[in-house]
Amino acid sequence: METLVIISHAPYCDWTGRESLDMAFSLAAFDQPVTLLFTGEGVNWLRKAQQADAVQQKSVEKNLSAAPIFGVSALMADHKACERYGLNKENMMPGVTVTALSADLIERYAHVVNLS
Amino acid sequence: MSPQTLCSFTLVITGAPYSSQAPQTALAFARAALANGHRIDRVFLYGDGVHLASALTSPPSDEVNWSQAWQDFLGSHDIAGFACIASALRRGIVDQSEQQRYELPANNLATPFTIAGLGEWVDSVAHSDRVIYFHNGG
Repeated sequence: METLVIISHAPYCDWTGRESLDMAFSLAAFDQPVTLLFTGEGVNWLRKAQQADAVQQKSVEKNLSAAPIFGVSALMADHKACERYGLNKENMMPGVTVTALSADLIERYAHVVNLS
Repeated sequence: MSPQTLCSFTLVITGAPYSSQAPQTALAFARAALANGHRIDRVFLYGDGVHLASALTSPPSDEVNWSQAWQDFLGSHDIAGFACIASALRRGIVDQSEQQRYELPANNLATPFTIAGLGEWVDSVAHSDRVIYFHNGG
């Protein structure tokens, strides 16, 4: 019974992304399978070389790069959103599967969390 | 779900009272669920939803006190209500134990809410029939 946690808000705009990530890490910590999906402006979480200290925040890039270590099954990003925000293999963190967002994709998961 | 199927629910509230409709929509859902024979395993406050657990909420007398309404509901039906510890501490909702730990001047967690980790929510995902979310827009 896998859970899909969707992050659709840009990093640093509010705390829903961080709190979504906490949920994903908690599931993984209790050996519950979980995948993270980034959609809309949320794909900017995946951008390399974020300078979070300029807005007095911690970089979310570091948190995310730890996701596989914590046991998160996969990091996925919506193809169209990546195109819209100019994210590609060169400027995106490694280990992300770019996929087409669809109802079929969402239906594969028993539980879907979208805090936004 | 057929009308005859009885379910166990966990309600996750992420919208704050007086900023969103989430707490009152969730309370209406909870009352309807119990009235129809369903069970509520627990209520989990997350993100801005933790403001619902403030004992200091004091709306004008001609408005509903949603914090008090939830306290009464949880107490009268013996349902566990949890406020996520990380969300709560960020937003200044603390119990006596956290007050002492962080040497804060006061505590304000309303009874019967308790402070807990995300493990309570994980347990719901694993064991409740349905986990229903009430967000800022809902």
